[in-house]
Amino acid sequence: MKKLTKLFLALSFALSITTSAFAVTVASWGGAYTESQKLGYGDPTAAKLGIEINWVDYSGGLSEIKAQKEAGAITWDIIDVFAFDTINGCDEGIFVEFDFDKDFPAAPDGTPASKDFFAPMPSKCAVGNILYSWNYAYNKNNVKGTPKTIKDFFNTKKFPGKRAIYKSALTNLEIALAADGIKPGKGGEKIYKALETEKGVQRAMDKIKALCTDPQGGCVFWSAGAQPPELLMSGEVVMATGWNGRFFNAIVGEGAPLVQVWDGQGLDYEYFALVKGGPNEADAKKALAMMTNTEMLAGSAKYIAYAPYRISSLDVIKKNEPWYKDGKTEMMPAMPTAPDNTKNYFLVDPFFWADNGTELGEKWEAMKAGL
Amino acid sequence: MSSETNKILTTDGIPLEESLKKAERKNKIKAFLLVCPLLLFLIITYVFPIGEMFTRSIDDKMITNMLPNTFKSMESWDGQDMPEESVFENFYIDFKKLVENKEHGKLAQRLNKEKNGFNTILKKLFRQIQRNKIDESGSFKEQITSLHKRFNNVEYWRAIKRTAPPYTMAKYLKGMDLFIDENGGIAQVEEDRRIHRILWLRTLEIAFFVTVFCFLMGYPIAHLLATLPMKYSNLLMICVLLPFWTSLLVRTASWMILLQQQGIVNDFFVMIGLVSDDNRPEMMYNKVGTYVAMTQILLPFMVLPLYSVMKTISPSLMRAGKSLGGTPFVAFWKVYFPLTIPGIGAGCLLVFILAIGYYITPALVGGASGTLISNQIAYHMKTTLDWSFASAMGLMLLTGVLVVYWIYNKLVGVDNIKLG
Repeated sequence: MKKLTKLFLALSFALSITTSAFAVTVASWGGAYTESQKLGYGDPTAAKLGIEINWVDYSGGLSEIKAQKEAGAITWDIIDVFAFDTINGCDEGIFVEFDFDKDFPAAPDGTPASKDFFAPMPSKCAVGNILYSWNYAYNKNNVKGTPKTIKDFFNTKKFPGKRAIYKSALTNLEIALAADGIKPGKGGEKIYKALETEKGVQRAMDKIKALCTDPQGGCVFWSAGAQPPELLMSGEVVMATGWNGRFFNAIVGEGAPLVQVWDGQGLDYEYFALVKGGPNEADAKKALAMMTNTEMLAGSAKYIAYAPYRISSLDVIKKNEPWYKDGKTEMMPAMPTAPDNTKNYFLVDPFFWADNGTELGEKWEAMKAGL
Repeated sequence: MSSETNKILTTDGIPLEESLKKAERKNKIKAFLLVCPLLLFLIITYVFPIGEMFTRSIDDKMITNMLPNTFKSMESWDGQDMPEESVFENFYIDFKKLVENKEHGKLAQRLNKEKNGFNTILKKLFRQIQRNKIDESGSFKEQITSLHKRFNNVEYWRAIKRTAPPYTMAKYLKGMDLFIDENGGIAQVEEDRRIHRILWLRTLEIAFFVTVFCFLMGYPIAHLLATLPMKYSNLLMICVLLPFWTSLLVRTASWMILLQQQGIVNDFFVMIGLVSDDNRPEMMYNKVGTYVAMTQILLPFMVLPLYSVMKTISPSLMRAGKSLGGTPFVAFWKVYFPLTIPGIGAGCLLVFILAIGYYITPALVGGASGTLISNQIAYHMKTTLDWSFASAMGLMLLTGVLVVYWIYNKLVGVDNIKLG
């Protein structure tokens, strides 16, 4: 049975291999994000190294690369993945382990790579790409007053109206506790300490439940990143959590009357992982080292409001403002890692979610079913 | 009288019966060769993957082979109090071997699926072994339990014991919020985690009502299509098919724009004074939204089989019914309706089976009730990589569809399905 599977899968992959034998293939999420990667560092790296870099779209998760590996016919060299995917993929032996200071160049001032990353890597198989934020925004035409804190997001007396929150438990439990009075502490460790206990989880669920069942409040659950700005602009909700890049696009690109609130934001990461036994592993490794250096990572922030993973990249942006591609918008205030935006934040903990994701997901669904 | 003499012979002297058989065999082989490609296709695309799914869903050999010593020493453990030193020692031996082969990550993944929380504590143990911090002459129980409080929790050791058999039905039980407890009996999971049964019922409920709505709306449309003169019915047919050619996501998104509280339909209601501005009804992000969007998306699958059946019913039958003294309703109910049952059966089965596997549309428009069993399958396929659980749920869904088909066969008869 196993051998047969391999044969069938190998046959189906064989064609796609032959077409991309000499290029480095990077799988990423597509849309404006991949566009920013391609223009920001993909094309410049390809030109410098004299290799071809192909970008293919995928919808996240490790199922495809796992299937490719089981079939013995891997077609991707580099994948853009979430933190917990790098942990899982590393454990399953899908990705190459790195020696960060040896495999990746130092910052221009000589800081070794491992010290230049905004946060330590969740696994040895990941190299940081960007940081994005789960923050919230409101429509200034529909809200009286100015929400400033994460507590205001849950304050339906002061700011009545529906809220849009993400459909899964991820980051919702964290902001619920932050709004319920738990100080996040360094990188949010106090929040996660509380969530390790049944009581803490219950407290977070109760807070969400109270918001969603409040006649003055109520919840809309969003599942696609384009929804939060849309829901805010149509007036369907008064506040929405979402990804800061999407809010930025709506504000700068479309002139939407939205305001982002950074208090209690959750910083989340995107990583690159190098596939073990990929079709072009050696070139891919070279390309990856160049794409994630200080200059190149800063390049992607020209096209999208996500923060480069390297701290030294921010200096590049600061020195060359206005950095955004339109030549007039300053990028630093829109960076989730900018000092003004990180006064009260938590780092989304990939270990916590890798450990407890399934169980909390079930509890979350059970809670939603009772709404 | 011997049978020999009675045999009819062909001109070559071979008994006719044999000759006939030979010719028939040839035809059979020819016929078989003709269907061979299709048969092969079915085996490759249906039988084989479903078989693969089934083995995946019950195969648990990997962990059995990873912890052989642990399971052996656990045989005598009753699962009540914390296991003895020997269990810890054997667990350490097994785990160290996995670390040497760099397979400890796989074990952590597998056990974390059994009980959440294993990932972290096994990584802790891994780091201790890497740094040679475990004193192999001391008590393993003391050293391991002092690493993390979860190692001191008997639940985690019970979870290990549960994974011992090489084949298991545990994934199927999990799909119904059940599990095998330490005594080998079947028990329910904690109350706040019983989610799968809710999702199964919700999936069935939505599929059922979408089928009913599709039928109620599709039947008159199909009737109209079948009875209108050609030039009008063609236009109407295009209207039915047009949404069929539009992307699913586009159609779903348009319903969101139409039905949300600040949407076009509500704006219209407020404009004509049907509802007040601050009391707009919620028609989106709840089940209403799911029903509306899914009914519209699946409607063509109901209309087309109905239309093809109705087209073949002669209008003179209804006239005959009426001329024999039936009211229009009686004529319809006694004559026309029974003739359309093959189309109803085909349409309902099609819509129901398609609806039961939907998940993008409900997730977008269904709000808190937008999670269906297919979302759960996708989640375990893509995020947790628990493919055996995903396979088990996929097979359960398939079984559900087969049961519906079987019930339908009992009630109406499969011969009475007409797709076109």
